Amino acid sequence: MAVDQDKYILKVDGLGVTYGDFVAVKDVGFNVLQGEIFGLLGPNGAGKTSTLSAIEGLLKFKQGTIIVDGQDVQQKPLYAKASMGVQLQSTSFQPELNVVQILQLFSGIYGVPKSKDEIKDILKEIKLEDAGQKKFGQLSGGQQQRVSLVIATIHNPKLVLLDEPTTGLDPQSRRQLWERIEAIKAKGHAVLLTTHSMEEAEAVCDRIAIIDHGKVIAIDTPEALVDKHRDDPEVVAVSRRGKITLEDVFIGLTGTAVRD
Amino acid sequence: METTVIPKSSAVFKTLVRADMATLFSNRRSVVISLLVPLIILVSWKPLVKVMGGPFALSTAIGIGLMSIGLMGYTLSVARDRDKGIFQRLRVAPVPTWAIMSSRLFIQLVMIMILTLLVFIVGYQYDKITLSTEGYLLTFAVAVIGGAVYLSLGQLIVGLIKTAETINAVTRLTYFLFIMVGMFGEMGTLGPQVKEGVHWSPYGSVKLMLAASMEPAKWNHDTTITVWVCLGYIIVFAGIGIKNFKWNSK
Repeated sequence: MAVDQDKYILKVDGLGVTYGDFVAVKDVGFNVLQGEIFGLLGPNGAGKTSTLSAIEGLLKFKQGTIIVDGQDVQQKPLYAKASMGVQLQSTSFQPELNVVQILQLFSGIYGVPKSKDEIKDILKEIKLEDAGQKKFGQLSGGQQQRVSLVIATIHNPKLVLLDEPTTGLDPQSRRQLWERIEAIKAKGHAVLLTTHSMEEAEAVCDRIAIIDHGKVIAIDTPEALVDKHRDDPEVVAVSRRGKITLEDVFIGLTGTAVRD
Repeated sequence: METTVIPKSSAVFKTLVRADMATLFSNRRSVVISLLVPLIILVSWKPLVKVMGGPFALSTAIGIGLMSIGLMGYTLSVARDRDKGIFQRLRVAPVPTWAIMSSRLFIQLVMIMILTLLVFIVGYQYDKITLSTEGYLLTFAVAVIGGAVYLSLGQLIVGLIKTAETINAVTRLTYFLFIMVGMFGEMGTLGPQVKEGVHWSPYGSVKLMLAASMEPAKWNHDTTITVWVCLGYIIVFAGIGIKNFKWNSK
């Protein structure tokens, strides 16, 4: 499905998040359109997780608004949560439950209960037909990500949030996951993902926002960002092989200092 | 794409209960231990039943079982799930937070009922302890209040302490202290001041309330005050525990 320029599924406007005196996010704003994969990039501690947590409804914020599918996440949290599917950075399910029980739990709480046969079909689709009775912890990293992703989309949400979905995966699993993310987009879902991988951002994202020190410092398509900043002295200075990449632009804009 | 539907709270609650029940029965060993400790006490105290009376033995067994359920069952599972991010995963779904906790409390309520029933059965089979119908019914009701005292104490612990390891240590220490100081203290072995302290402690109050409920005819003003003390403990412990509770341990 093509990106619908008129219809945004997520609108973040003037978002501010503070922890005591510490300002984690300041005046952040961006939209994610229907059928778009939007990447949120930033160094450690830049404010990505706080922004994502605010969208997910995990933290309350006093400044700004977040609209998901036309509803304010703070005023109508259950509606907003029902409109989105989430894959957290470290996905945890009750270790005592097997994969079938986990799928039954989440299909039930998203209001789309599945029968055992339907769950069997879902597992077949993600090539895990023999893993139904296994505990989540017994699955490989790639298998766990597939289960997490299928849970995030089990209720056919309008917005899918993926927090560093390919961290720790081998290249084969990563490629497979990219294909699954693109398949989600093809079904018309909007996808917001965070990543540290510039390769991933270039490969799957339609647009990206670079966030640093709690502020959005650039938003555009990966190609446009490279074109726009290819002659910046900071970007040229960090370029390693003459050819300017998205990673060069990212480091040029956010600095070379290592963040903890 | 389909229209967004907010799932019904009752359906969500039912799903959570089913999952929590499956989790509970997957941990068969800890369930058996929670139930076995009070039964072992009941059986090993057979000689004391004639001296102290049936209600004393039954109330001690149920009281210790309630403590295991509240402190070991509820507290440790909440601490673990918070630490592993299981609550965060549930909270990003359209699940009201009350449903997450109510489902867990419902499971503990089922455990309290099973415990009380088992103690009655073993008490009758092994020690020939019988109560009146009112006694049995009242004890079931009072066991729920007693269970709530320990569940709220557990909530206080998970509300005030964030790390799972510290909670584990504090909970086991509290359990051990209640059993040792409570059991010896109430018999006067540790002196009159400790005996008085134990009497009004959560351990003593729950035990006294349970013992009195087994003989409704002997229910007096002192017992009613003990019920109020227990309700006070529940309100204060749960109030502080809920107010300070964080869903994420990080």
